[in-house]
Amino acid sequence: MSISNLKKASLAAGTVAMIAGTAGAAKTKAVDELINGIKNKSDKVRAEALLSAGGVGAPAVKSLAKVMGDKDTEVMRAGKRALWKIVRHVGRPRARDERNAVVAELMGVLGGDHPTLVRREALWMLSEISGRTSIKPITALLSDKELREDARMVLQRIPGKQSLAALKKGLKAAPKDFKLNIAQSLRQRGVKVRGLACVKLVPTKKTNVKPLK
Amino acid sequence: MKRTNQLNRREFLAGAAAGAAAVGFPYLVPSGALAAHGRPGANERLTMAHIGVGGMGGYHLRDMVNRRNRGEVNIAAVCDADENRLANAAKTAGKGVQPYRDYRYILERKDIDAVVIATPDHWHGVQMVHAAESGKHVYVEKPACCTIEEGKAMVAAAKKNKVSVQVGSQGRSQPEAYLAHRYLVNGNIGHINRVDCFHYPSPADNNPVPDSDPPAELDWDLWLGPLRWRQYNKRYCHGVFRWVMESGGGQIRDRGAHVMSCAMWWMGADGTGPVTIEATGTAPTKGLWDSAILMEVTYTFKNPDWTLTWTQMPNDKLPKAEKRTGKEPGGKISRPGYGAIYRGDKGEFIHWGGDGGTWAEKKAREWKLPAGAKDVYKSPGHKEDWFKGIKTGKKTIMNIEAAVGVANLCVLGNLSFISGRKLRWDPAKQEIVGDQQAKRMMGRPQRHPYHL
Repeated sequence: MSISNLKKASLAAGTVAMIAGTAGAAKTKAVDELINGIKNKSDKVRAEALLSAGGVGAPAVKSLAKVMGDKDTEVMRAGKRALWKIVRHVGRPRARDERNAVVAELMGVLGGDHPTLVRREALWMLSEISGRTSIKPITALLSDKELREDARMVLQRIPGKQSLAALKKGLKAAPKDFKLNIAQSLRQRGVKVRGLACVKLVPTKKTNVKPLK
Repeated sequence: MKRTNQLNRREFLAGAAAGAAAVGFPYLVPSGALAAHGRPGANERLTMAHIGVGGMGGYHLRDMVNRRNRGEVNIAAVCDADENRLANAAKTAGKGVQPYRDYRYILERKDIDAVVIATPDHWHGVQMVHAAESGKHVYVEKPACCTIEEGKAMVAAAKKNKVSVQVGSQGRSQPEAYLAHRYLVNGNIGHINRVDCFHYPSPADNNPVPDSDPPAELDWDLWLGPLRWRQYNKRYCHGVFRWVMESGGGQIRDRGAHVMSCAMWWMGADGTGPVTIEATGTAPTKGLWDSAILMEVTYTFKNPDWTLTWTQMPNDKLPKAEKRTGKEPGGKISRPGYGAIYRGDKGEFIHWGGDGGTWAEKKAREWKLPAGAKDVYKSPGHKEDWFKGIKTGKKTIMNIEAAVGVANLCVLGNLSFISGRKLRWDPAKQEIVGDQQAKRMMGRPQRHPYHL
């Protein structure tokens, strides 16, 4: 490469880096603004922040997941709603890259370092937009006592062979008190399940109220 | 009666008598046990049970007690997940009526012909399907369903089990609904190409409270039923579940299931559906409730082409209600905050209400049916129409197919609102087109064992 070309290449690389840096800074600024708005004590400010949440996308997911653990109930709710806004925004047709980026971030929220409430919400968000990439971490939650029922329902909702295979595998591995739940999902997905009769019509809950004498 | 899995009459009567003696309360003889060809005779009493006895359920129970007092029906059981409400209902229903917490005990009883379901919306689909699968005729409150997939299952269950289903959009059965219907189908405002439904806003949760433990009288697990698990919050439950999207869906799923029911009926559009749905609106800024406060939904129908809109607007934007003397058949308009304007190429027509109160504009009330003009079905009353359906096998005025069609309008309006985009719908396949996320939201996986 000639010195002239090297200079040009170097200049171009610098420009790309500068643009990338600027874009990165813009994203960070958008996330900060969103989080500050969502955490604001004013309903009106939180509502305005919510309106802008969709476009901020994947970079805001982790921060919003953290806000969902906030002690202030209204801030927690606003954080949850903002994250749902993002999920519904990136779920639109022809937004695959944005969607995949959000799915990747949400998978990071499934870990045990987040509160159960936040992990449960992330599971249901994934149920609307994720595909095969999320099957493995969701399947792992079938052995989590608090989240297994949600994980089972989410796998039921995600279409494709991978989620079906995960449910079948989950049925084999499930403890006795959870097998019927997974069998229910498999039936909903059109699989015949033998040896585990459906109990949906079996009454179990007795009242203490007596009939009038 | 009409079920293949039912005991024959002799087996049932012997079993019922023995069972009643064993458990110490009077099982009733189902009307079908005395009828030919699997349906109760015209003068036979149906034996009813009530599932969900607060709010509208309380109204239905009191109404049925009056019918029992007139010798029209028997009441065998009442059911609720709230023990206080259940105890009150047991008192209202009187001696010989068995209270249950779990509705599935009712479905097991062979002496019960029919159930009235008035639980929160998220239970309608599952309980109606279970009742049909147990051979019971069903009156289920509106909206019929919360998801598209629930609606499909409800239609299939009613058809497969040959049960009569009436959905509680009782506006169709109101006297002035009949007058409006025949006025419109006889071309008095010409060809109608647009119906604009109006309604006041959904409320905001201005008194939010944090999550807590449920009260001792409430079986929270059973109240939630098919919905995914969450901590109890007072603002989910009695009287206000309507404002939570999952369980109530806001005004559009409440009164939309009334006002748009009239529109579909009068436009002859039952069995059809829109091809596009586009909603905008304002979401609450605080609290638990998440249904749209203000809302505007546009539904586009094709072949024939017409437009239906649903608008939740500020109170001062609502059309003014007609002045009445109070001597009209329907009396004064007590619910002026909702209704619809029908726009034809020769004029307009407006009605208010659309549920238990339906008030038609004066020109429709005063219009006399000319010789040779088209008359329309006049319901004898919403429950009477259901009883007729049970006894004759004829379709009810708000049959499950029609009701699911109307509920789908409400569901799709909310889906467009929460997804923030226009949806395309294939009415023949009953599917959202070209939007994978919205398509997944046509159904909602249900908690074990409270599932379809």
